Amino acid sequence: MFDTVEAFYRPGTVGEALRLLQNGKNRARFVAGGTDLVVEADQSIRCLIDITHAGLSYIRRRGKAWVIGATTSMAAMENSPAIRALAGGILARAAATCGSVQIRNMATLGGNLANGSPAADTATPLLALDAEVVLADARGRRKIPLTEFYSGRRKTKALIVEVAIPAMPRGGRWSFQKLGRTESDISLVNAAAGLQLDSQGRAKWVRIALGAVAPTPIRAVNAEKLLTGRKVDESALAVVCDEAARETRPITDVRASAEYRRETCRVLVRRALEECAGGTGCSL
Amino acid sequence: MKTMEVRLTVNGEAKQWTIAPGDLLLDVLRREGYFGVKRGCESGECGACTVLIGGTPINSCLMFAAQAEGSEVLTIEGLGHGDKLDPLQEAFLDHGAVQCGFCTPAMILNAKALLNRKPHPSEEEVREALAGTYCRCTGYRKPVEAVLAAANRGGRKPRLRAAPAARREATR
Amino acid sequence: MNSARTVVGQNVRKVEGVKLVTGGPAFTDDIQFPGLLYGKILPSPYAHARIQRIDTRKAKALPGVHAVLTHKDVPRVPHTTAGQSWPEPSPYDTYLLDNKVRFVGDRVAAVAAENRAIAEKALRLIEVEYDVLPAVLDMEQAMAPGAAVIHDEPDSKGIHDAAHNIAGYILREIGNVDEGFRESDFIFEREYRTQRQQHCSLEPHVTISWLDGDGRLVIRTSTQVPYHSRRQVAMILQIPVSRIRVIKPRMGGGFGGKQEMLLEDICGALTLAARRPVKIEYTREEEFYMARTRHPQILRMKMGVKRDGTMVASQLTVMATTGAYGSHANTVQGNTGSKVLPLYRAEHMRFECHVVYTNTPVAGAFRGYGCPQGFFAQESLVDEIAHELGMDPVEFHRQNVIRLGDIDRLSAQLGEGKAGLPRHIRSCSLPECLDRGAAAIGWTSKRKALPAPASHLKRGVGMACTMQGSGIAGIDWASAFLKMNEDGSFFLQVGAADVGGGADTVLAQIAAETLGVSLDKIVITSGDTDMTPFDVGAYASSTTIISGGAVKKAAEKVREQVLHMAAKMLETPVDELTCGDNRVSAVGEGKKSATMTEIALHALYKEKTQIMDGASHFNTDSPPPFCATFAEVEVDTQTGMVRVLHMATAVDPGIAINPAQAEGQVEGAVAQGLGYALTEELVLDDAGRPVNPSFLDYKIFGAKDMPRLTTILVETDEPLGPYGAKSVAEVPINGPAPAIANAIFHAIGVRFRKLPIRPEDVLRALREKENVADDQCV
Repeated sequence: MFDTVEAFYRPGTVGEALRLLQNGKNRARFVAGGTDLVVEADQSIRCLIDITHAGLSYIRRRGKAWVIGATTSMAAMENSPAIRALAGGILARAAATCGSVQIRNMATLGGNLANGSPAADTATPLLALDAEVVLADARGRRKIPLTEFYSGRRKTKALIVEVAIPAMPRGGRWSFQKLGRTESDISLVNAAAGLQLDSQGRAKWVRIALGAVAPTPIRAVNAEKLLTGRKVDESALAVVCDEAARETRPITDVRASAEYRRETCRVLVRRALEECAGGTGCSL
Repeated sequence: MKTMEVRLTVNGEAKQWTIAPGDLLLDVLRREGYFGVKRGCESGECGACTVLIGGTPINSCLMFAAQAEGSEVLTIEGLGHGDKLDPLQEAFLDHGAVQCGFCTPAMILNAKALLNRKPHPSEEEVREALAGTYCRCTGYRKPVEAVLAAANRGGRKPRLRAAPAARREATR
Repeated sequence: MNSARTVVGQNVRKVEGVKLVTGGPAFTDDIQFPGLLYGKILPSPYAHARIQRIDTRKAKALPGVHAVLTHKDVPRVPHTTAGQSWPEPSPYDTYLLDNKVRFVGDRVAAVAAENRAIAEKALRLIEVEYDVLPAVLDMEQAMAPGAAVIHDEPDSKGIHDAAHNIAGYILREIGNVDEGFRESDFIFEREYRTQRQQHCSLEPHVTISWLDGDGRLVIRTSTQVPYHSRRQVAMILQIPVSRIRVIKPRMGGGFGGKQEMLLEDICGALTLAARRPVKIEYTREEEFYMARTRHPQILRMKMGVKRDGTMVASQLTVMATTGAYGSHANTVQGNTGSKVLPLYRAEHMRFECHVVYTNTPVAGAFRGYGCPQGFFAQESLVDEIAHELGMDPVEFHRQNVIRLGDIDRLSAQLGEGKAGLPRHIRSCSLPECLDRGAAAIGWTSKRKALPAPASHLKRGVGMACTMQGSGIAGIDWASAFLKMNEDGSFFLQVGAADVGGGADTVLAQIAAETLGVSLDKIVITSGDTDMTPFDVGAYASSTTIISGGAVKKAAEKVREQVLHMAAKMLETPVDELTCGDNRVSAVGEGKKSATMTEIALHALYKEKTQIMDGASHFNTDSPPPFCATFAEVEVDTQTGMVRVLHMATAVDPGIAINPAQAEGQVEGAVAQGLGYALTEELVLDDAGRPVNPSFLDYKIFGAKDMPRLTTILVETDEPLGPYGAKSVAEVPINGPAPAIANAIFHAIGVRFRKLPIRPEDVLRALREKENVADDQCV
């Protein structure tokens, strides 16, 4: 119920959107897909600023990076040939699990990140890809790593305008794994991994990102360090997955216990790394 | 109370409505008489409020009516009537895919959107298209069959039982 | 007359089908009303409290508010909300509005306002001072000494032992189980636990009421029980039954949740107070915890068998909670005994049950009505017994299940809360259901070996047999009325309440078949207490057999009138005439016939008589439908996730009047059974507040979750049913949970005795099993 909303705007530019936000004096909110905002039903909102027509829906190449506008929908990412080809398609796969087809047609990348849920499906692969977030506010635009976005999220009133995915080392393989109670579910746990093996089967580099197992999505940096340079075999995987599980700080809620999240996180990391290493790891 | 105007097309007809800025599309559509758009959960989970916007299924309970400015909206009422039903509507009727009917408009619209971009979907694709519409009555099997039948129209006859089938006697 | 049937047995389109697929305004809320007010209930934030003070002045003063009601404003009439025949066998422990609240969500007050926003604001302006009382949330604590007494009011009636929070108590025995256990070679005893499941009808509870031009209270509502609701509203609001009309439009599901007078009384009260039409529509959140749920139970099942597998004695001891009020308390639990134990031919059976109050959401009727709980326990234990004896579970069932010609004596002891009638099994294809279900799942080969695609995946198959009833013997009854129109069509008026499962269509098919006309010649009106004759309503799987029985009787009487009219017109003896193909024809030589249209015109304008008649019907028995459920599952031993690959359900519904609709009922019931087994539970926190009252965290099966479904109707000809029909609406929901639990055992050797079987329960059990194995290896 939004009966206290007094004004609705649909600005045509980011600048206009920011001005409207300023004028709204803390009672104005950006809305794109509405899939989180409408459910939250925040009664303090007096002014809605629809940013879906502010030129922020795009997927394009900029130099060696791929950039995605903040109001790009999950469906658009899921179906984009470029995103499907990018990093083994892990971002496209994550977007494809973000709720039902109706939700994916409405929900946006920016909204998925802005909502700040550690279970946000797109955040995990983006973390693994060292993505950066471009924020805009009255002072201008700035680009920060996604990790920094999550650590400082509560303090910023800026608008997410774009997500940039830097060029990644070639020759890597990627995987995205998600666990839900049913096929259409928020993540109980998710994981994204990227791995490149050298000619001796050792990990040249590895990235492991985990979702829904900490207050924010995280990179399992200790686990990554453990695996880098090491031959990727049975015992290495066991040790690395244990380490990744140790880096989690999951909660117990009605969806799952902390213990279950930690345990299945270990399993998902294992499957992700196995898939990357060319093994028979499970897909979604 | 503040009001604003929204201009859009609904089922091919141009509309201009006076709304409150915070009105949700579901509420406005039902207020304007489009009762085929259902209120099931108001949180985008059950899909009963599905309408097509520019041919794309969305949950109207999550969209502000103002966001539909300039859009082309299709509700079930715009699909077929009386003598001239859409093949999907015919298929749902022929395959026993309609029980209480509350989710039926949403299922049909989601199926319509699928068939528009993929005329011959696989069963998996049909289930994906229907995955955002909960049904508590059918177990989804007959709706899936109906969509596949509508997609293969002409290739698959409706299942009608000839009478009488062999009867089991009460005493053996 | 056993000639070829033209309408019954056909997969005809639903009579209201076109309206549903085109989104026509068919449901309760699909209506616009000038002056309609929005009603809303203020729910209690506490599980147990007295209302010390309640001040509604600010709420009343809010512009746009037309009525605010508290316990001070309405009559205090103890009643039950259970939609049951009078006198209801449920305690009269509920009040329209009370000065005590007994669960989080209980009614504190109600408002009617110009719109939803104002109504919600008005609720916030009601000032309430609560005297918070200790809450009893755990059913095992309800009877303990010192437990808070939930129903300490002196005016409630029919509570078994209010001082100890016992809403109901049931004890029934046939034979002597102690003797039976002494005679047994082996005795098995296990405890099972089942959870709070919610109906999740896509259409929430919704009621609109108004005063018509004659000052009568008209209630348009989504209800399975229009007549019971009318009677109860009359009693509660203290107005005569004749001054109330209840109309049931098309319903968006019910599943037992609407076998209840839930909103009609409060909506009517607001209408009377405001003198305006009022609508109350539950939000999905309210639907989860302020409507009804299935009764959670703790079941202790004990069975004694002979060495050769013959079952000798079975004993079921149940503790159930009915939540804060006793709606359906005795009868649901009565079913847990009376419909479950007699599936087997044990000579000795005993059922004992305590139904206790707790300060939790109210339990009520839910498809299966006590049987899903009971069969989970019984069919799980039977599987365990078969395993211990080295018997194939299917063979164990064949040896022990009830047979054609048997008499179920336990049901004589457990009727709708009182002594019932013995059940005679006059139709039963359970042996063939077992054969065909087993064949469909691939039972024989898969029990021996069932490979899975990866080493961490384990597959298994399991099965269960179940039964139900078809109407409540000696209690459920219905009536039907038919009248003929000029065009040879007939208006069929039935009190029956089509919940969405196809009742209107099935009843029309029965009428058409009996009258010898095509289906389009029947126009059916149902579920309107002004326009249709009495019917108890849609529950206990009664509509096809009982309402259908009344329709058949009424149609037979009308057919007689038609034949007599035609006899006059054709100058032919009645016994040489037959109805069929929209006409009455002379048998044998000569082509004498008259169309239904000709007959109608003759009757109306020449004879000056309206061809019309009605009939009432009930049965003194409740012929059970039978069901054999087979499940194939795959367990991911690393995550504990259970994926159901295939459910094969073979059902004996009697004759299926509309086979496609019958199959649809099976498939929908299986889907609900799957959720019951694996994902659904309404969870409460330690203050009794619902933790997951939304689809986000109360997970029901969606289109991608469903396994392959094989649905097999193994028809029989039931003498007590119209055209041989029994029922199919409930029985298929009973089998999935035990079949899946048994399949999981086959897959990974672990028994789960608590529902739902969640992935982390599976994972924990697997880890424990590994640890035990490791210990044993040391």
